[in-house]
Amino acid sequence: MAESVDSNRLKITNEGAPEGTLIGFRCRDCATHVFGPATFCQSCTSSALEPADLGGIGTLYSYTIVRIPPAGWPGQVPYVLGQVELPSGPQVLAEVIECDYAELRIGLPVELALQAVPAEGGGPDKLVYKWKPSPAVADNDG
Amino acid sequence: MTEVRPGREVVVAGVGLHPFGRFREKDLSTLALGAVVPALEDAGVEWKDIPIAYFGHVYYQGMSLGETTLSKLGLTGVPIVNVENACSSGSTAFWQAYWGIATGLYDLALAFGAEKVPRGPVTVTAEDSPDRYIGGDHMMAGYALRSRRYMEDTGAPPEALAQVSVKARQNAALNPYAHRKDIYTVEEVLQSRLVADPLTLYQCCPTSEGAAAAVLCSRDALSRYGIAEERAVTVAAAVLTSGRYNGQGADHSAFSPYRTEPAALKAYEMSGLGPEDVDLVQVHDAATIGELQQLEALHLVPFGEAWQAAVEGRTALSGDIPTNTDGGLLAMGHPFGASGIRMIHETVTQLRGEAGPRQVASPKVGLAQCSGAGDVTTVHILTKQ
Repeated sequence: MAESVDSNRLKITNEGAPEGTLIGFRCRDCATHVFGPATFCQSCTSSALEPADLGGIGTLYSYTIVRIPPAGWPGQVPYVLGQVELPSGPQVLAEVIECDYAELRIGLPVELALQAVPAEGGGPDKLVYKWKPSPAVADNDG
Repeated sequence: MTEVRPGREVVVAGVGLHPFGRFREKDLSTLALGAVVPALEDAGVEWKDIPIAYFGHVYYQGMSLGETTLSKLGLTGVPIVNVENACSSGSTAFWQAYWGIATGLYDLALAFGAEKVPRGPVTVTAEDSPDRYIGGDHMMAGYALRSRRYMEDTGAPPEALAQVSVKARQNAALNPYAHRKDIYTVEEVLQSRLVADPLTLYQCCPTSEGAAAAVLCSRDALSRYGIAEERAVTVAAAVLTSGRYNGQGADHSAFSPYRTEPAALKAYEMSGLGPEDVDLVQVHDAATIGELQQLEALHLVPFGEAWQAAVEGRTALSGDIPTNTDGGLLAMGHPFGASGIRMIHETVTQLRGEAGPRQVASPKVGLAQCSGAGDVTTVHILTKQ
């Protein structure tokens, strides 16, 4: 069975599908949302953090087509890297899949897409969070 | 946040540089001493005079490299501090040397940096990091994301970014220490191999090997060490900052273009100088977009307008904001630990009027800005009357 690439950032909600949601924390003192693990608020340093479900939609803040990959990249080359802004504020970097280069634009609505990737050095596959264009709101400039 | 209190006046008494490039036959210590020894000679002091040394480097090539390197000059027993602050390691070593003297702990200090950067795209996370699967840990992809957004927000055409590289090569062609000295046209820059759209290979700094060093001294101790006052360059501001929350929680500094602004404002406050006083500037141009956004963050041009300054030639040696006069990271190359002190070396050389064919006309104030992963920023302002 595949496992989350990082259980502090991606919670698997349905292993069969697979489906999941991005997770992080919300600060009870200043309402800032943080993607991923946190003990203290990045904005105000408060420790009054509560777990938060950050969902699986966002919009492209920027994007690039990576032609020369970093060491250890297990995917296809070239690949699209998206800098995606979540509705709650944080930005999440991940590959954008199932897209034509021609449809890429800043402001493009995207949604979470989980992909199983073989683990380096063996073991269960990693379920990696990625983005894909969101057809339901494709006309919304976000 | 106004806790920067200048202490004793500190000057740069000497600088040294080992050429940047690839030197398979030399180990890191040999490279480093190739800058340290000239810096000591330039200042006119001996290693046995130095009471403290700070060494900036990033890649692991053995423990206590500062100690093992300087031991070759003689075992004098002084404290030697190894400094790792990503691409700002060298400038952080310089910053520490400054504050060691300004606060009165030492009269004299050595700051040096050296690196042998492996070839290939630079990543910042550990090898077992989940980021290796996610694909976002790629320095130049980060700069590409910034480029795309900047072009969308400001209307900058690809040719404007390419012009930054063209200018860097022109400056480097006048600099015997540079890694890359051949000159390109805008078209050649844009037609070079794509690394991550829209950044092409010639818009990304080469990873390099090299070393740089500086000897700092309190002004009131110059005569005691027999250092010539007339070649001393004053350090008017020395500022180091880490990241401040920007609302985006972005993964690392390559994605946060304007981290430099708080450090710049502090440096201007500390020096009593403003952007209008700056005669030349060295900024962290690991990619072309970096130079444009750093110039804006330093308030040397309004936000969104640096690309026009580049196109109009204002950042060239003959312009009103001469930028990266030695070729910058783009053409000098980028040995991480050395680059921050390389910027100091160039600023000092220019302020002394010793930059030869790339000399800027009568500069009095020079600024050096260096960024590092983990949202490190250093800003130093140097002056000479």
